[in-house]
Formats: sequence, structure tokens, C-alpha cells
Amino acid sequence: MSNYKGTREAFSQALIDLAQEDDRFVFVSADSLKAMRATAFAEKFPDRYIEVGIAEQNAVAVAAGLASCGLIPYVGTYGGFITMRACEQLRTFVAYPGLHVKFIGINGGVFGGEREGVTHQFFEDLGIVRSIPGITVVAPADAHQVYQAVKAISKIDGPVYLRAGSGREHVVYDQETPFELGKIRVLHKYGNHVALFANGFILYRAIEAAKLLNEQGIQVTLVDVHTLKPIDVEGITAILQDCGAAVTVEDHNIIGGLGDAISKVSTEHCPVRIERVGLQDVFPSSGPAEEVTDYYGMSVNHIADAVKKALQRK
Amino acid sequence: MLKNDNSIDLQSKANQLRLDVVQMVHGAKDGHPGPALSIADIIAVLYFKELRIDANNPQWEDRDRFILSKGHACTVLYAALARSGFFSIDECRGLRSLGSMLQGHPDMNKTPGIDMTSGSLGNGLSLGVGIALAAKYRKKSYTTYVVMGDGEIQEGIVWEAAMCASKYQLNNLILFIDNNGWQSGDSIEQVSGLLPILPKWQAFNWHCQTIDGHDFTQIINAIDQAKKSPQPSVIIADTVKGKGLAYMENDNSWHKRVPDDEQLTIALKTLGGDVNE
Repeated sequence: MSNYKGTREAFSQALIDLAQEDDRFVFVSADSLKAMRATAFAEKFPDRYIEVGIAEQNAVAVAAGLASCGLIPYVGTYGGFITMRACEQLRTFVAYPGLHVKFIGINGGVFGGEREGVTHQFFEDLGIVRSIPGITVVAPADAHQVYQAVKAISKIDGPVYLRAGSGREHVVYDQETPFELGKIRVLHKYGNHVALFANGFILYRAIEAAKLLNEQGIQVTLVDVHTLKPIDVEGITAILQDCGAAVTVEDHNIIGGLGDAISKVSTEHCPVRIERVGLQDVFPSSGPAEEVTDYYGMSVNHIADAVKKALQRK
Repeated sequence: MLKNDNSIDLQSKANQLRLDVVQMVHGAKDGHPGPALSIADIIAVLYFKELRIDANNPQWEDRDRFILSKGHACTVLYAALARSGFFSIDECRGLRSLGSMLQGHPDMNKTPGIDMTSGSLGNGLSLGVGIALAAKYRKKSYTTYVVMGDGEIQEGIVWEAAMCASKYQLNNLILFIDNNGWQSGDSIEQVSGLLPILPKWQAFNWHCQTIDGHDFTQIINAIDQAKKSPQPSVIIADTVKGKGLAYMENDNSWHKRVPDDEQLTIALKTLGGDVNE
């Protein structure tokens, strides 16, 4: 079993492990040390913990300055504060020069922000960063995958945005499953009636839906698209060719995320009918994580219904 | 290379930079000459006297760093880099053209000698804080210099950076504020509630000096004083926008404007130096 409670603890542990091996790794905090569960990092490496206070724009630009001198800063705080408050610093001073800065955005999705309400529910983050040239974008499904992903992205000599959660994520992978950047992972091939693509913490709901559908005689190919950019065109195209219809599942606004990314691949390489499950371009309410995610159209039943619809229109 | 030769005629160097700026903007038919001329004397002191840099090794890790946060004034920086040997002065003819190493605003990956991409206002101080923090962590002795416009310190991120530099006592960070009194739209006084500038930096616990930004001795002495301070240091340099050309001085239409042939001729006569067009 894991030795961390959620994606934030997994991030913190991975960064400590990286830092023990290589003195270039530093953590830049915008008063987010506790939120990122990174107190142990600061205690172990006090000279590598840079605290700029509640000032995300400064955090990102400071990280760019550090990276320009050969260090590898991880900036961790709420995903929306990185991608919206500090969007220009991320775009112009990290992505444009191609600097070696890693961003860990927590509270990803409605599920991640839940009771905090819209100010802390971030469902545009992936769309924003996807539209910026030169950034790798990943949305791992659980704490184990975040741990692996934090290490995997350290090897990319350039900017990366990784979406993390707020502690309610379900564990879907075992500890040893590697995180293979840029490649889709087929979790389960029940059959080829419909391709079911998902990423991030909502993957557990896609897993449940796939099981439910299988009991009802509908067999999907269940795929984790953890790397949203660069997207695995070859892998996705092969799945689309095999299944001939698809459903995308994301805890993100329906604009800019997984649904758009898969649709782009489909349009260019293998046109098929696609149904999209996600937040339908509205501002959600506060609420318990499971309940609020259900309410906004991302329940197991919503996913199963979308698969049935895709199959009918195939 | 260290440049300790005080016999260098900084005034003639600064005039050459000014002339290079006017020729570049005239040739490209685009650019910001006024804001470039106001910092020409500061740039001359930095590039021809103070900065520990090596044109043959632009990525030297122990070099002093320079960030032109008011990146629109980049023509004077490009001129200084060319005149310091980072690239041929002939490159200046390509200013703002497609594929040129001299982009509309500074680009650290395209231009040898540019330490940091810049141009969207307000960000240079935070970038400099990161570089200065890296020096502390790596126990390097280099100094990080940042030049900002007085207008651009209206941006909120400047004060985020000011707090941070003060918290970390970054005595290896020197900020020049080009206090020419103008910004793109009008005078600082008309546009913003920024004034007075000095007490704001004092309140943020910076070492503060106010100088005549066109007096070489004052610029040099201020840098010496800044290096002795245990705090991050700001040098508020009172300057004249368009300094050096009577038709340009304090005429804010020169914030972004192209000199005509006659104005170029006047610049040649006024400033002397080598012609590069």
C-alpha cells in the first residue's frame, strides 16, 4: 500500500526523493507549503524551500529566474492561481524561453475544489495550459501515478503542468505501475463496442461505468489519457479505428480539455461519433466531492448513458 | 571580462549607443527611441565599466546578470551588446525583422548576451529575485542588475518582488528605476497614483538612493554604495526621456516613433560616432 494519503503527499514525497539525488531541485511556495503537504521537504532542505508569500505571479517569475541559472524549481499551489493569476508569467517567462520549471496545480476539477466553491474549483486549468506552446500537460489518475509522474516530468528539459487534487482522490493503480509520459494506457479491454477515454481523478468513475456496462453486455475499451499534451496520436487513433465510437470523461470544463484533445485526433485521423462527459460550461456550486461531481453530469450513470448513446449512433 | 579602465570615455560611448538606437529605429521603421535614450548613460556604465561579463562566453555561469525589464527600450541594450562584442553591429540592421536575432523585445534564446526574456512590464524584478536567490543558494558572487521604468512599477508584481527581495535580504540585487516621468499614455503624474516613488521603496525596506541618471560619477558611486548595502538596493535615477537629442527630449510622442531622414541627420551631427546604416 501507499505511504501517502493523496496526490499532494505523493508530490511531496516524490520531490523529496528527487532532491535527495540532485541538488538542483527546489520548491517555490506561494504560502502553499502546507497546502502542498511539503513541510517535510522544507525541513529536510531549508535552503531549497523558497517562500514568496501569497504572490503567485512572483512565485512563477522567481522560478523562471532560478531555472535560468540551472536550478529545477517545482512551483506548487492551487491550479487556478498558477494558470489564471500567473498565466502570463507562466507563458512568457517560462514557456516561451522553454525553462525547466514544473508546476503542480492542486484542487483540480470540481471534485478537487468541491466545498470551497468556484473560487477554488479549477476546471479551466488544463485548457489554459494546453493552449500555450511548449508545455507538457499531465493529469494523473491517483496518488501512485502522481508520485511516478512527478519523477517522470523531472526528466523533461522544459515546462510541465501537472494537475493534482485535494485529498479525496481514489486509488486506482498499484504502486508499481509506471507513468509512461506521452503514451496512453489501456486499462481494460472488455471489448470494442465503444472507446472510453478518461484522465485525472475521475478515472475511477470511468472504471466503475465500464464494469457496469460490461454487466449489461456493452464492452468498452477503457483508456487512461494521462498525458494531455503532447497527446498520443498514434495510440488514440488505433483505439478509435478499433472501436468506431468514443466517449471522453473529464473533470474539467467541456471546452479545452480531454474531449477537445480526443476530438482533434479523431477529426484529423479517424472521424467517429464522440460523446463528451464533463462540466457543461457552467459555474458549479459548493458541495461534497462525490455529490457535486454527480450533480454536474459526471456520475457513473452519466458515463454509462453516454456510452450507450455513442453506441446507438455508431 | 572585468573592465576597470576608468579612462574609457563613457560619454562618447553613451553617445554612440544613442546614435545606434536612432539608426536602428530609423532603419527598421519601428521602435521606441525615447525610452532607450533615457537609460543610455546607465547602460553605458553597466556595459563599459561595471558588468562582469565575457562576450566570448555569454553563458558564463559566474557572470553578472542584467535584465532590461522595460524591454521596449531594447535598442540601447542591443547596441551595448554589439559594441561589447557579443555580436556584429551589422545585426542591428535586422531589428524587428522576420527571423532576426534582435526581436521586438529581448529574447534570451535568440540574442547572445541577453540573460532574460523581457518586455511585458513589471516582471523583471521577480525574474531578478530568482536569479539573485540562485546566486545565494549556489554561493556565487555575481550581481544581478535590473532596469525598470518608472511607469512600469505601477504593476502589482513589482511590489510582490520588492517584498520578497527584502525578506531574503538580497544584497546582490540592484534595481535602477529610470525616473523620466513619462509612460506610454502621458506623464506619470497624470496617469497614475504612483508618486512619490522613494518612500514606497523605503517602506519595503530597500536601500534607496536618488541620483542624476545622466551623471556618470553619480551612477558609478551609487553602484558602489549599493554593493556595500546589506539590503537589496534601488537607485532612482532621474532622467530625461529622449535625452541627448533636443527634438526628442521630454516629448512623449517619441515613446514610439520613427525619426525621419532629417532627424537622423541631426542625430549624426549631435552625437557623432560611427555610422551604421
